[in-house]
Amino acid sequence: MAAHIQFRLKRRGFLASLGAAAALSVLPNVSLAATSGDRRLVVILLRGGMDGIDLVQPYGDPNLAVLRPELTLTPESGLIDLDGFFGLHPAASGLMPLWRAGHLSFAHAIASPYRGRLSHFEAQDVLETGNPLGSGSRTGWLNRALALFPRTASRAAVDITTSVELIMTGGNRTDVWATQSDFPMAQDEIHSLQALFQTDPVFGKAGAGMSDLDPLPPIVNPQARIAGIADLARLAGSLLAEDYRVASFSLAGWDTHQEQKRDLAESARLLSEAVLNLQAGMGEAAWQQTAVVAITEFGRSLRLNSTGGTDHGTASAALLAGGAIAGGRILGNWPGLAEGQLFEGRDLAPTRDIRELLAALLFQQFEITAANLNAKVFPGLGFEPSSLFVKTN
Amino acid sequence: MAASFTTIAARRFCYGLKPRETPPSDIDTLMLQLQKGPKAVPRFPREGVLGRRETLGRLVSVRTVEARAAQDGRPNPGLRQETQREAERLLRRDALSRVAQAVYSENGFFERLASFWVNHFAINATKTYEMRLLAPLFEAEAIRPNLAGNFGNLLKAAVLHPAMLIYLDQASSVGPQSPVAERSGGTLNQSLAQEILEVHSLGDQAEVTVADVNGAALILTGLSLDLRSLEVSNRPGRAEPGAHVLLGKSYSDRARNGSDHLEMLTDLANHPATARNICNKLVRHFISEEVNPDMLNGMIQRWQASGGNLTEVYRAMLEHPAAFAPEASKVIAPFEFVVSALRAFDVKGGEFDALVNADDDRDGDDVPPPDGKVPPRRKPGVARLLTLQSLRRMGQPVWEPPSPAGFPDDAASWLMPGHLAERVAWARIAVRLLASDVTPLALLDMVLADLAHAQTRELISAAPSKVHGLTMVLASPQFNRR
Repeated sequence: MAAHIQFRLKRRGFLASLGAAAALSVLPNVSLAATSGDRRLVVILLRGGMDGIDLVQPYGDPNLAVLRPELTLTPESGLIDLDGFFGLHPAASGLMPLWRAGHLSFAHAIASPYRGRLSHFEAQDVLETGNPLGSGSRTGWLNRALALFPRTASRAAVDITTSVELIMTGGNRTDVWATQSDFPMAQDEIHSLQALFQTDPVFGKAGAGMSDLDPLPPIVNPQARIAGIADLARLAGSLLAEDYRVASFSLAGWDTHQEQKRDLAESARLLSEAVLNLQAGMGEAAWQQTAVVAITEFGRSLRLNSTGGTDHGTASAALLAGGAIAGGRILGNWPGLAEGQLFEGRDLAPTRDIRELLAALLFQQFEITAANLNAKVFPGLGFEPSSLFVKTN
Repeated sequence: MAASFTTIAARRFCYGLKPRETPPSDIDTLMLQLQKGPKAVPRFPREGVLGRRETLGRLVSVRTVEARAAQDGRPNPGLRQETQREAERLLRRDALSRVAQAVYSENGFFERLASFWVNHFAINATKTYEMRLLAPLFEAEAIRPNLAGNFGNLLKAAVLHPAMLIYLDQASSVGPQSPVAERSGGTLNQSLAQEILEVHSLGDQAEVTVADVNGAALILTGLSLDLRSLEVSNRPGRAEPGAHVLLGKSYSDRARNGSDHLEMLTDLANHPATARNICNKLVRHFISEEVNPDMLNGMIQRWQASGGNLTEVYRAMLEHPAAFAPEASKVIAPFEFVVSALRAFDVKGGEFDALVNADDDRDGDDVPPPDGKVPPRRKPGVARLLTLQSLRRMGQPVWEPPSPAGFPDDAASWLMPGHLAERVAWARIAVRLLASDVTPLALLDMVLADLAHAQTRELISAAPSKVHGLTMVLASPQFNRR
């Protein structure tokens, strides 16, 4: 306990010293908001477009192996069976104790209102604002939800917002806390940067040489990335164990246009590390009151492209974790993968709006009414307390 | 003029585009900056030129008192450390201010020239503790007021500044047959002579012999420094008697007032090899490592015709068609990289100052990690993290060149894989700290305007996130070339 108190004082000191220049906020890795009550919510943004069908594979659907034989696993080849139909990618095996404890579930075949697969920027804007493209305000849904929390009087936060994590941007006060890190890049970030370097021979050569350096620069060092993400999640957890009730951070690395087999496994392992470190950072009591949700801007094409990867798609899966969720099951409506069941003949079809899942979490964790959710957090959504995403005991 | 004239002018000859700042529309606008630049008081030294002289006097006398006490067997290491810390702190503030000066000045061409010349007349601020205070003063009083005038005046102002004399150990140089040497020994130091000939004036392409360097060093004897006032002083007792030969000409100081070294500097400034050396270096810095001979000759002719008037030489460079050629062949150095990115993000002056001030006396907060298992990490001030520390990591710390020849000025030196990794790391931190709600393509348009290639645009628009897209803009080959 003593360590926590000292930590908090230090944190306040650091934030206050930068208060004079709020626009130059500290490294905005984790944004947090403090509210009263014991319930907690963590939103992890999986940036890049996660292949939900690769992370949580519907191995019971006979069309899966036909559409993507290269990526499809079975329990015989390492897939971890969840319910006889779906199985978890083996790289996320660290999460299985949570599944068995009823602290892990997945929602499948869900998507934000964004369609078109074109732009990560636009699709992430939709995911973070909760508004269809080009409509509504440029504030984050999580920030709008803060205003509707019960017992707002005890909300303590310092106004250092980040302009980058749109999900928490808005009129309600949000602290930004950061770990000191060189922000090691995810594989998809490295790929896209190297492609840019290749447009200039001199930069192409220097860029290619970065990964041959000894020691490896932190930004291209996978070990540093794992350590950084573990630190980040543990920090978020420890802050949630104290004043904070809401936290959000991003995990990049899901834009698997090439070598998906390798890169998705790495990202899945990191997601699993992040969840486990969150849990470790907050401790058992807080974990029991917590819902973690990891969401992505879109899914990926079912068929592979020529570089061993997948291209932007439509529906994906979301991960749910924590003591406060309905664990040990796959939520949603499975649309099937037969020819006529695919979205535009190529993607997993969305059967549920991802905002319904988010609204359900806000409803059950913070008692925000359906009317408020449909009017203020996700205007026009039509969420109902009978939603299949709401936990029933 | 081509549509991209203003973009090229801003990027190649200034520190890049900045929101709400009108880029130079023609050559005259660029040239006008050379009149405005010297009139604007630079942000360093923080307490002004006269104030800095007072600070120096105070620190030197504290040091002198301590040295005397130490001689009497009463050393005061605490006092020494305190003056050392004070000097470090002032240098840090001034170095941050130098970055701010480049970011906020609307006279980008003047600022780029100041950087060029402070690198040409290289000194290192970490040589001694006084140098930490003198280096900013050197730029403010020797370089900036003189960079648009006659080269001879600039050469004398730079070479005869106490900072240069300390950096190149001129104060310790004694003529071997001078009265001082006869009485108490001492040796000739050739460092200043060598750098004047091989770097500051004639250059390393000129035919300079060992005898020439020796001759110049002998001519320079007597030129010294008062270690108490830190003023340049003439000490005839150290001067080598007789006449000394440099480049076939004999110099003597019959008046014993240092007239010989002034005469030497005048002759060197007027030497044809000097015109060629400086013009060549300007072209290599601003335009391309492949020097266009026609441009070079035009500049040299203008130099000769104007008697070394630098404003005329700069104008000759700008007026040559190759100056605005569309090929961006130069790779920007780290200082340009950091400054032009900070300009693009449009960090408000007050905010930067607030950060600099908040940074002042803090070496960083110790923040123990939540589990207490790992040692505390340093959290340096944001301003310092984004400027001084990053510049050091990228290989170009402010006022700390690696040698009297200055920082390198070629692509190969700045584009080792490790350097590029540092630029990427900087960009990743900077976009998180500084980017407001801006899209990657908007930032690309901001920094490159009409120069952005379709391929660059396409690759950046496909980035997996906005943060990474913004990072890619700053790491892009196009942003890093001008």
